[in-house]
Amino acid sequence: MVEMVIDENNIGYIPSLGTSFQLNETAKEIILMLKQGKSKDEIVEELAKKYNKDWREVFIDVTDFMEKLKIYGVIQ
Amino acid sequence: MEYQKPTINKVDFRLASKYGSPLKEQRIKGEIDGVPVKELVEKFGSPLFVFSQRELEEKYREYKTAFSSRYPNVQFWWSYKTNYLDAICKIFHKLGSKAEVVSEFEYQKARRLGVEGRDIIFNGPYKPKHILRQALQEGAMIHIDHFYEINDIEDVARELGLKEVGVAIRCNMNTGVYPQWSRFGFNIENGEAYEAVKRLYKGGILKLVGLHAHIGTFMLSSSAYRVEVEKLMRLKNWSENQFGVEVEYIDIGGGFASRNRLKGVYQPPEVIVPSPDEYAEAVTGAIYDNYQGKLPKLYLETGRALVDEAGYLLTSVFATKRLPDGKKGYVVDAGVNLLYTAFWYNFELFLDKRYEGLNEPSQVNGPLCMNIDVIAENVMLPPLERGTIMTIWPVGAYNYPQSMQFIQYRPRVVLIDTNGTPHLSREADDLNYVVEKEVVPDYLK
Ligand SMILES: Cc1ncc(COP(=O)(O)O)c(C=O)c1O
Repeated sequence: MVEMVIDENNIGYIPSLGTSFQLNETAKEIILMLKQGKSKDEIVEELAKKYNKDWREVFIDVTDFMEKLKIYGVIQ
Repeated sequence: MEYQKPTINKVDFRLASKYGSPLKEQRIKGEIDGVPVKELVEKFGSPLFVFSQRELEEKYREYKTAFSSRYPNVQFWWSYKTNYLDAICKIFHKLGSKAEVVSEFEYQKARRLGVEGRDIIFNGPYKPKHILRQALQEGAMIHIDHFYEINDIEDVARELGLKEVGVAIRCNMNTGVYPQWSRFGFNIENGEAYEAVKRLYKGGILKLVGLHAHIGTFMLSSSAYRVEVEKLMRLKNWSENQFGVEVEYIDIGGGFASRNRLKGVYQPPEVIVPSPDEYAEAVTGAIYDNYQGKLPKLYLETGRALVDEAGYLLTSVFATKRLPDGKKGYVVDAGVNLLYTAFWYNFELFLDKRYEGLNEPSQVNGPLCMNIDVIAENVMLPPLERGTIMTIWPVGAYNYPQSMQFIQYRPRVVLIDTNGTPHLSREADDLNYVVEKEVVPDYLK
């Protein structure tokens, strides 16, 4: 994962790419968890527990989000 | 805190503007004429065509007033092809529109709805003799498309023992707008229309009572109508002088634009679509400037402009996916088999409520399992849930009559009356309906 700095307005900045991203709350949480080295399954489980959601739905959202991170070059 | 679907969007400073962020703007429509879209879908199913009688009546009055306030003798003829759902035709007939049809089927549909033959204008390039016979017997007004049709009408009139038959001819012309609809009727510029009038009188049975043209559809230029009327009036004056008759009416056809977004046109409809007053000014001004003798009656076959904005298609999100190019893909339950005009127009997409999260470039696809089944190729949408109801608008013109049973059954159609009560106006297709006319040859049984 490339280095991303997230400010208080949920704008993420990638110094090495010089690009900025706008994130929402959940997106920020996922990126922080990725930074901590958590796996996709752990992230899904944690979010589902925290928000009391069906994990199968969270799984779709997280998969989708990570696909987009790959397209942006944030993760491999 | 509530769960939000995670979103991330690259910040593109070109997208930032004083008009608000395209990442946050959501177009929302929770109800139609006071009826929540959610309730409509729960009661009648999804997808669902919805028509608003209020909007129909309003548009009709707007156009009627624009023309009648400028001109003494105005008659609207409802263009059946634009939308021939019985309930829609009924509303227009109640409002005072007569019927404009272009085929045997449309003629029969109008008759079935109780429209008298004399209240029908029969246009179109294909009128086989048997339906011409019925139309002439019942007193319909035939607008002649070609020289063969003159022969046919004369033959049928003789068979029926008619001594004199009043007819109109369809004309086509250059009004400075492209594409030019030059396939229908007789051309003005090369003199063919004048030849056609001469030919009518040479036969000794037919009499010219009207002149008709339809210069195209979604006409964004009101001045094209000025040119059209000038050319028709010139032909009218010439015919009257030449044959000592009175041409009772000119029929300017349809073609007024609705507030839809033509693909490739980037200004918003509010900016480029002429108002009813602008159209009316162009048409009536040109009659006043060019008439001799009596003022002719003015006939209009306005279709699209009266019905397009009264029609909605409700559709529900069935699934989402991430497309390989990064776009969000939505699978919805309404396909292009219901939205023939999707190939020319970028519709508005409204959401049923506000959704958390930032907009991202999205594509909305129908359920057809065909690559062409794209409702919206590039729209900014927030993360939507399964079951989100989208309202596609305006879809009242040409979509319902051109919708086809293809892969999916066609849905129900609902009409909301002026009190805000929805009424079922067409049942959905089902297997029996679809296979009703099929025959399995004996040897395959
Ligand atoms: C002869 C004729 N009249 C009227 C119309 C209705 O046109 P619009 O829906 O553009 O008003 C058409 C449409 O093709 C037409 O061919």
